[in-house]
Amino acid sequence: MAKILFAKAGVLPTLGAMFRLVFLAWAVLAVSSVHAAPVASSLVRIEATSQDPNYKAPWNAGEVTGGVGAGFTIGGNRIITNAHVVSNARFLTVSKEGDPKPYQARVLFIAHDCDLAMLTVDEPGFFQGMSALELGGIPAIESTVSVYGYPIGGTRLSVTRGIVSRIDFQPYSHSGMDSHLTIQIDAAINPGNSGGPVMQDGKVVGVAFQGYSGDVAQNVGYMIPTPVVRRFLKDVEDGHYDRYVDLGLTYRNLFNPAARKALGVPDSDSGVLIGSVFGGGASDGLVLPGDVLMAIDGLPVASDATIPMDGDSVALAEVVERKFKGDKVRLNLIRDGKPLEVTVPLNEPWPFNLHSNAYNEKPRFVVFGGLIFQPADRNFMSAYDPDDLRLRYTFDFFIEDKIFRDRPEIVVLSGILADPVNAYAGEFRFAIVDEINGKKIQRLADVAKAFSEPSEYYVIKMAGGGRPIVLERKAVEEARGRIAARYRVTREQNLEK
Amino acid sequence: MIQRHLVIAFTLFCLAGADAASTLLKPREPASESAGNNSVIRVNSTNQAYDFFRPWMKKAPFSRRGLGVLIEGGRILVTAELVANNSFIELEKATTAEKSSATVERVDYDANLAILRPVDPAFIAGMKPLELDRGVRVGDRATILQLEPNGEIAQTPGTVTSITVGGYPLDGMGLLLFRIGAPMQQRDGSFTLPAVRDGRLLGLLMRYDARSQTADLISTPVIEHFLKEAAKKTYGGFARAGLSFSATRDPQLRRFIGLNEPGGVYVTDVLAGSPAGKAGLRKGDVILAVDGRALDQDGNYDDPDFGRISFSHLTNTVFHPGDRVVFKVFRGGKVEELPVVLEARDRSKILSESYVVDRAPRFVILGGLVFLELSRPYLQEWGGEWVKNAPQRLVFYDAFQNELPADRGKVVFLAQILPTQDTLGYEDLENLVVSKVNGRPIKSLDDLAEAAKFPVNGFQKIELEEDPGVIFLDAAKVEAGRDALIRQYALPSLQQL
Repeated sequence: MAKILFAKAGVLPTLGAMFRLVFLAWAVLAVSSVHAAPVASSLVRIEATSQDPNYKAPWNAGEVTGGVGAGFTIGGNRIITNAHVVSNARFLTVSKEGDPKPYQARVLFIAHDCDLAMLTVDEPGFFQGMSALELGGIPAIESTVSVYGYPIGGTRLSVTRGIVSRIDFQPYSHSGMDSHLTIQIDAAINPGNSGGPVMQDGKVVGVAFQGYSGDVAQNVGYMIPTPVVRRFLKDVEDGHYDRYVDLGLTYRNLFNPAARKALGVPDSDSGVLIGSVFGGGASDGLVLPGDVLMAIDGLPVASDATIPMDGDSVALAEVVERKFKGDKVRLNLIRDGKPLEVTVPLNEPWPFNLHSNAYNEKPRFVVFGGLIFQPADRNFMSAYDPDDLRLRYTFDFFIEDKIFRDRPEIVVLSGILADPVNAYAGEFRFAIVDEINGKKIQRLADVAKAFSEPSEYYVIKMAGGGRPIVLERKAVEEARGRIAARYRVTREQNLEK
Repeated sequence: MIQRHLVIAFTLFCLAGADAASTLLKPREPASESAGNNSVIRVNSTNQAYDFFRPWMKKAPFSRRGLGVLIEGGRILVTAELVANNSFIELEKATTAEKSSATVERVDYDANLAILRPVDPAFIAGMKPLELDRGVRVGDRATILQLEPNGEIAQTPGTVTSITVGGYPLDGMGLLLFRIGAPMQQRDGSFTLPAVRDGRLLGLLMRYDARSQTADLISTPVIEHFLKEAAKKTYGGFARAGLSFSATRDPQLRRFIGLNEPGGVYVTDVLAGSPAGKAGLRKGDVILAVDGRALDQDGNYDDPDFGRISFSHLTNTVFHPGDRVVFKVFRGGKVEELPVVLEARDRSKILSESYVVDRAPRFVILGGLVFLELSRPYLQEWGGEWVKNAPQRLVFYDAFQNELPADRGKVVFLAQILPTQDTLGYEDLENLVVSKVNGRPIKSLDDLAEAAKFPVNGFQKIELEEDPGVIFLDAAKVEAGRDALIRQYALPSLQQL
């Protein structure tokens, strides 16, 4: 959630360094040829058949699509790949180098917030003859790495090589909401590389996972570094993936001398200013906007939001990145000019999920009188991309303006299955449902409940005024079979994810 | 009504934009209209809009041309758009190319009309004023006048295809317009083209859609209303009832509210302090009749001249500010009569104005921090897609301004930073809404300028509605740096109120 992204001090290669780089490349080439065989015996090609939910016809099962990715074994009959390779999967097979047979696989754990997944194959003997790869550390800037995978649809292993260009926090596009440590390399990473190991000196230093489409940037690929992979492995040790935890606050640099003086910060180069604290988040009630964060778990916070860690200067978010649900973090603050220490028990603030892409979920909906009601989450917004300003405001500022307190779910009239019963409801498409028969609608379940209660009229009021939609019970009942048959609505509601 | 008209204004603006892109080459009809040369005069206006990003500057001048119509009193009628933000207006005789300057005597941007007065009355001697044609009906023939480069009048015949209430440019206010189907040629000088019939003025063209070959004219009743108001000591303008309504076509809604009358519209919102609000109209009322004229389910009445048109034509054009109009209202099963005293809107009370012309945008610069008041022209600096591209919180403030508390005041925001030593660390801040300065609530730039005179403990403390929440400036340094700031960024002044 760090709002400030800072660039690491770049090292411009001198002429000497460039020569050394060339030598390094040769050396690595020699090394990787030695290691090529073990990597191949650890690699799997994953074929996934997925079913992506259809938010516009939510009663349908969704379209079946297929995709190819890579994965690697880490021992203990475990295969590591990207979450996006196996998301929404209905059927998975893996095949290994030199064995023509595809084996059925299943997902053990999936972590959408860091785009990692763990698979296994139940068929006895599959893992025999495969060698487990070992996780390494963070490769040095300018060092060479090799990327293994099955890019652009091929069935045979492909290796590309590049150098480590940058190590930084970057957004993970799978969830669209999370940022973690990421390593940028200049090897091309293409679809099919996803989930494949990035190797250096015979060890895994990352999992290839995202790049840019051609017109944005060339030769830029990203891999998930091993601290993120290790955290995932540790999180699932208890048999359950808990997601990342978050402080639930924003902060920004504190370079300004007047601000430092006004906030009572000693005139050294330390401290960041807390901007907002999200209601319901871990720090709610413990940290206040306007506090200055001076240290986190005893590590001094510099005014550019970095901390010293493992002999390097890293983003202060890194402390929280390494923690787990239920862990605590100690914050040293300055509030009203006085020092203060608080301990924040970390959790995962739920309102954020609204803005994340969700996977392996069934769309939730209620159909009544041909009107389709759905909760507006990220998947919904991506499917419809509505222009409605009020809906966009409510969704975009859901967390910032604490809208979730009144409206834990944004229930929207998302579509109209045209029928005489709803002939005049068209103007309300994408309006947010505020009330039904005088009862506030906070969740989709409230809609289902309101319509299940007998009433002569169902009066639906939308947020922002306008006339109510009025449905007569008799008319709805008459229309029910007609609408279901005409539009092949196989289910009238689904309230479960 | 307000929102509905906004939507109309949007679509029509888009259409208007299309005509510039395409050129039409149509055979010209033989000249037939005698009104010709003797009553129209070319008007060249050199306009210069303010730059809302840098409100101390005007943008580059540009020139608009149109064909003004001589009206009685030695005055010239043009569209307001032609002369908006004018720096210099020139009259040019069509045949001799003689030139003389003119000034704006009266302008109304809601109605898109302006009256010009020649600086030298002798310049128009010998010209014959045009009278208004008051008997226009759908199906009538009309002639649109354009000027050829050689000074000849080009005449395009057309037919009045519809008479309706639609959005006028700039504000989008819904006023009566004549729509004419006419295959016009693309010529320069297209701001203000008169349409005539039998030597009388039928309207002024305000936009043309080349694809559908339809022109929208400012209608004679609107021109007549404008001229009547202009003749008064105090110009009253066009009144607004201050309510929005929705059709009652849905029989289920009609049964639910117990409405047995054949027509009527459902009031969806009443602006606080508006004529309708003062008269006691409420959300949920059904307006059955206005001034004794029954409304149908869409809010149209039967006009003896123009057929079925929206009742807003009565409140904004037929009647004048100060007039009393009786609204017959169905409320809670009973029919009531509410007298509404019409008023034009007090523009100074508008939270975010839809247009700001002929005056400089207000601003205050405090130590490199540029503060503005929200207006739609500021958002429109983001171009055609401003609704999506402009800062979203400001877009929402503009869109939902009628829902904010009546005492909200103006939205004052930190628009940008002119970096100086005092703003170190703030360089990336932009478009953040200000809540308080030095502990004082900010409802206008005047409040801000006043509050800045009272620094707290030597600091200017600026509180924001969004991240980072608060920023500080050293008050003494800000004061001492005023001249340096003016020099550094070549500013004419540090405030314009």
